[in-house]
Amino acid sequence: MSSSPTDVLIDVTMPQMGVSVAEGTVVAWRVEPGDRIEAEATICEISTDKIDTEVPSPATGVVTEILVPVGETVDVGTVMARIATGDGAVASPPQPLDGGTAGAPTTETKSPSPAPVAAARNGDRRYSPVVQRIAAEHGIDLSQVPGTGRGGRVRKQDVMAFVETEEPPLHIESPYRPEPVTPPGPVAEGGELSRMRRQIGEHMKRSLETAATCTTWIEVDMSRVEAVRARVGVTALAFVARASIDAIREHPSINAWLEGDRYTRHTDVNLGIAVSLGDDGLIVPVIQRAHELSVEGLAARVRDIARRARGRELTPDDVRGGTFTITNPGQYGSIMATPIINQPQVAILDFEAVIKRAVVVTDADGNDSIAIRPMTILGLSWDHRALDGALAAQFLASVKRNLESVS
Amino acid sequence: MPTLTYLQAISSALRDELRADDRVLLMGEDIGVFGGAFKVTDGFIEEFGPDRVMDTPLAESGIIGTAVGAAVVGMRPVCEMQFSDFISCGFDQLVNVAGKMHYRQGLAVPITVRLPSGGGFSGGPFHSQNPEAWFMHSPGIKVVAPSTAEDAKGLLHAAIHDPNPVCYMEHKHLYRRVKGEVPSGVFETPFTARVARPGSDLVVIAYGAMVPVALEATEDLDGAAVEVLDLRSLVPLDEEAILDSVERCSKVVIIDEANATCAAGAQVAALIAEKGFESLDGPVVRVATPDVPIPFSPPLEAAVLPGVDKVKEACRELLAY
Repeated sequence: MSSSPTDVLIDVTMPQMGVSVAEGTVVAWRVEPGDRIEAEATICEISTDKIDTEVPSPATGVVTEILVPVGETVDVGTVMARIATGDGAVASPPQPLDGGTAGAPTTETKSPSPAPVAAARNGDRRYSPVVQRIAAEHGIDLSQVPGTGRGGRVRKQDVMAFVETEEPPLHIESPYRPEPVTPPGPVAEGGELSRMRRQIGEHMKRSLETAATCTTWIEVDMSRVEAVRARVGVTALAFVARASIDAIREHPSINAWLEGDRYTRHTDVNLGIAVSLGDDGLIVPVIQRAHELSVEGLAARVRDIARRARGRELTPDDVRGGTFTITNPGQYGSIMATPIINQPQVAILDFEAVIKRAVVVTDADGNDSIAIRPMTILGLSWDHRALDGALAAQFLASVKRNLESVS
Repeated sequence: MPTLTYLQAISSALRDELRADDRVLLMGEDIGVFGGAFKVTDGFIEEFGPDRVMDTPLAESGIIGTAVGAAVVGMRPVCEMQFSDFISCGFDQLVNVAGKMHYRQGLAVPITVRLPSGGGFSGGPFHSQNPEAWFMHSPGIKVVAPSTAEDAKGLLHAAIHDPNPVCYMEHKHLYRRVKGEVPSGVFETPFTARVARPGSDLVVIAYGAMVPVALEATEDLDGAAVEVLDLRSLVPLDEEAILDSVERCSKVVIIDEANATCAAGAQVAALIAEKGFESLDGPVVRVATPDVPIPFSPPLEAAVLPGVDKVKEACRELLAY
């Protein structure tokens, strides 16, 4: 916080883009902290479910901080950034935001000049439909609007004049004042978070814009995996990884990169495993030459990279060169997803929860019966530019066969 | 562009239609040899002959019924009611026969009924009425009411061309008082409203003879920017233009020369209450003739009809609200 105590901080808030729009997503920042910006110049681009638009700066000054990273969705009125104007304006004392609804204008800067008697009587007055609508659109507290109509009634022109006196849709004077001694810890941590989220967002977005992403699912009976893993003491993920590697041996086109028009099929299987870092985000460390590892070896490597990922101990080499990725968010019970391909790879396998289900099984004599089996749904997102649905289905069938024949 | 009176504009439209279209014929009481009670068709019988400018018996149901039959076989009859008040005698033919023909038999009835209407000249209860709302309430009939010379001609052309029965309300008080430049030849004025004067503080909605009253009353009203919306057409009613004005001005005064209850202005007020509520900054105010017959007595008639002073007062009240 470089702003001096006399700086007036202006909040840049997520604007209300329409009556039904409750939130918006920051798409891009045009400034960085420390940059100077002119009033009305574009400070950031935002996206709502209805429109994309540019947000003009509410004031001329220096950007002191950016609070909402690119890709993050926040409620209307949320402070996205702060601008120090430093124009010598008298700073008003800090005051708490009103219940998080930052759209309400502060009122102490209003100058209700005429008709003090009328204003005093506004409390027990009814307002016409148009006055109420204008007030709602502009977030105006009608009790602050002096009325010039009969008996001090607030007329349309009164509320319009009030709106023109101080239009507050995009910003309010910040109630926040930097502590001169103690750095605001939580905010600094927010900055770190934003970069990772931004990278994830950019990467995912680029993948969706680049690849022709399709997702194919297959149901797998995990009875044998469950039986064996209880005995060996490894996670089901290691079995899925091994089964996938074996399936890649059958269908090597899955283990490839597509960069523009350049397609590269790899001999080694460098297996990416998506590791959640909790609120911070996600990282995909790579098990190099995973095809050389047994189920136990894969399990040990998965444990190792997950531990190092969460300890922030990964080196750049640990996240490089992946040829195929498995994501495994199933521990929370979810059963299906449409994962986004880790570019420039051409496929990603999603392994979710294993859930006991009643399924029809057929015995050796061809008799059908209903059995309780631990089932899972494997999902493969694949790039239709590189391969077709038949290959994806064949690959999944191969993975299924491998898993159902584990011994 | 020639300058015509409202009456001359009506004559001009009729003459142009008779010249341009053999299917057009006029029917009415004393419209031929006498040239019409108000001389709208003066000289017509000489130019077009008695087959196309037909003097009829004093039987409005016969006039309209004959016109309906002629229209069904392809003619474009224009009926003159000597006074709009007399339309009550032709009510069944107009409302039940002409208005329902399309819905019952699928036949178009392109007739125009000219209705010299309105008071202000001590005509008394039988010669001063404004019966337009009767026909607004009857499906299948269009209703138009010009307030300027140009619209008098353009709306009459459009009415004659329209495939539906059209009641053309021509206000007797405007016949010789309103003058204006009118394009020559055949042209159509659309059945939509017209902003007679733009404004932003209040809108006065009127039609026919009440438009000049509205304009005069609000020309200099303490500096307020008062809009005047001339409806021109009552069926169809230009909802878009009405709501647009209400949105802009937020305060509305509606004038009817007709008796207040269920008048055209009542329909406009209902529309605004339903669809313009959120634009309102005050009550919808109506100025209309009370529900009494129009008196003969000049001071009594002036007392019941909406005039400049009444409109001024209503606007001032609402502006101050």
